[in-house]
Amino acid sequence: MNEQGAARVSLPEAGPRHLRALRSSALKLSVGYIGLGLLALVLFAAPLWYAWRVTIEDSRMAILQADAQRLAQVFRREGPRALAGLLSERVGLQIANERLLLFADPQLKPLAGNIDRWPAQVPLTPGFNTLRLQLDGHETEVALVHLLLPGGYHLLVGRDTGFYVPLERRFWYALLGAAVILSTFGALGGILIRRALMARIHLVRQTVSAIMLGDLTHRLPAEPEGDELNTLSQTINRMLNQIEQLVHGVRNVSNAVAHDLRTPLAELRVRLEELSLTRPAPEHTFAEIDAAVSDVDRVISIFNALLRLAEIDSGMRRSGFVPVDLAEIAAAAVDFYQPAGEIKGARLQLVRADTAPVRGDPVLLAQAISNLIDNALKYTPAGGNILVSVSRRADQCIELAVADSGPGIAEGDRSKVTERFYRGDASRGTPGVGLGLSLVEAVARLHGTMLELEDNHPGLRASMVLGQDTRPIERPATAVPKPGELQHEPVYL
Amino acid sequence: MKVLLVEDNERVTQFVLKGLTESGHTADHASNGRDGMFLAASEPYDAIVLDRMLPGDIDGLAIIEALRKAGKRTPILILSALSDVDERIRGLRAGGDDYLTKPFAFGELLARLDALTRRSQVESVQTRLEVADLRMDLLTRKVTRGDRDIALQPREFKLLEYLMRHADQVVTRTMLLENVWDYHFDPQTNLIDVHISKLRQKIDADFDRPLLRTVRNAGYTLSSHE
Repeated sequence: MNEQGAARVSLPEAGPRHLRALRSSALKLSVGYIGLGLLALVLFAAPLWYAWRVTIEDSRMAILQADAQRLAQVFRREGPRALAGLLSERVGLQIANERLLLFADPQLKPLAGNIDRWPAQVPLTPGFNTLRLQLDGHETEVALVHLLLPGGYHLLVGRDTGFYVPLERRFWYALLGAAVILSTFGALGGILIRRALMARIHLVRQTVSAIMLGDLTHRLPAEPEGDELNTLSQTINRMLNQIEQLVHGVRNVSNAVAHDLRTPLAELRVRLEELSLTRPAPEHTFAEIDAAVSDVDRVISIFNALLRLAEIDSGMRRSGFVPVDLAEIAAAAVDFYQPAGEIKGARLQLVRADTAPVRGDPVLLAQAISNLIDNALKYTPAGGNILVSVSRRADQCIELAVADSGPGIAEGDRSKVTERFYRGDASRGTPGVGLGLSLVEAVARLHGTMLELEDNHPGLRASMVLGQDTRPIERPATAVPKPGELQHEPVYL
Repeated sequence: MKVLLVEDNERVTQFVLKGLTESGHTADHASNGRDGMFLAASEPYDAIVLDRMLPGDIDGLAIIEALRKAGKRTPILILSALSDVDERIRGLRAGGDDYLTKPFAFGELLARLDALTRRSQVESVQTRLEVADLRMDLLTRKVTRGDRDIALQPREFKLLEYLMRHADQVVTRTMLLENVWDYHFDPQTNLIDVHISKLRQKIDADFDRPLLRTVRNAGYTLSSHE
């Protein structure tokens, strides 16, 4: 398939718009997924962060308290000097740099520790404080336990929480990193999904474009078991099959129309051209003109038959359904065709129920029956039999059947004979348009039933079964007003 | 008779006007609904031939309805390219008297016009029909010609009755199909001819003067005149 060609014909207006819509839908999808991922991340990190904060701070305070109590015990047992010595030793060892210690006398003068003077912000009442302090030239956050020792001495045990800032920062960085990775993968996933989707949609578009160019044989790739898109493809393929069948049917019909209309038109043309060229004697001219008129009549009758078929197929005629007696219609048809049977030397008989009430279109039913009889007469040889029967079956349905003793229709051809313009081999050389049985079939369909073709051993038996109408027949056999019958009672339509 | 033709197609108009003039009738013509309505309402015509679809805002059906409302009883023959039975019924419901689908043969049009104008004149409760020495008693359903009884099948009786009711007029095959067999479709056979020839066999064969004659390109006529 020529891709450019396909692109050229493909959905000139709709194409880009579809693309945009898809693009934005893929975008929305991936943005949505990324957002959802980030939310999950936050929901995961927030409790973690909270637990971390609470646990660490609580335990930190407990440790500070314990430490302070230990130092207070030393003070109580051994006095201020011993405590100052212990503190100086601990500061000197430089373990636990983050630990802040200050031992001060009642005048707040530092005696020992690693804070050079009493921080002004610390209140003189004992307790736990979290403050910002200027330490070694930089400001940092500290947690302090302040103990008041006997004799007015003060002890501060604290912790430089700024020591944990890098850790916290690392935690945030990790979180941020996770978010970035999530977003990247999300976006990447979105792009990949979109690309995969676009590839398949492109395939669909290509196929559709090829079909729009007139090649109906194309189908979307679809495995029997696949994902949702596969199912969609299968559905579209089924639709395409149906369309192909329809187009095929239409093509057949138009070929047949072309053939069947062209033949009389060609004859007509030849006739007229010959007249114009040879200018024969008037009598001959008139004969030719008459023949030309009947050529035209043939064309018109084909048109009428086609229009009628279209009218029936549209189903509009159903509104004209009235109660009719099928037996009466069949009797009239048999009566009408009787002379034709006599001429042909075939016996045309009617077997009928007394009444056969059905709901239907009397004109179409009459036409269907006469087509069936006409058809039977055409194919029944001299001395043959044609039996028209209207009978009430055990299930109270009404069966109309026309059975002949002609050559019949081969089983394989039976479905074809109702196709428009189909003419069996046996019918070559007999007059007719090839619309007769398709009209019968269409009429049967309109009446909610089917035309059945069976072997009559020998011959053909065509039948249809109609539901019995239980309502009384008010006006038998005609729905078409006789000219003048409805005269002078204007109905405003 | 005097006929008004309301038709917008020039070819059809010329064809119909020429045909009417040649068969000894006079005809007026209007090519749109407005003129047609005006003429139909102001002039006395024996019949109106009206196209169903006309240019302008007044179409055939509207003219018919207006005329009927105004109490005009002029017989109207509707011409239409719409052949659906429904369309036909609509045309007749609106007050038309007959309906002819285009394309049509002029013979058909003339025969139907004849039938329409005669019907509006006679049409009464008749119990006996007579054409020359052919007699039909509608009550006893007996047919005689001269002093001889003629036995007819029910359908032949109906056929002859229609022909006798339209004696001296041309009756087309379609008219016979519609009125005798109630067939409003073309059965695509020449069976009408066969039925006529069977009837002719019964009423004409043994007599010097044939009554039932074929009219070329049109149909049949049952006539006492030569």
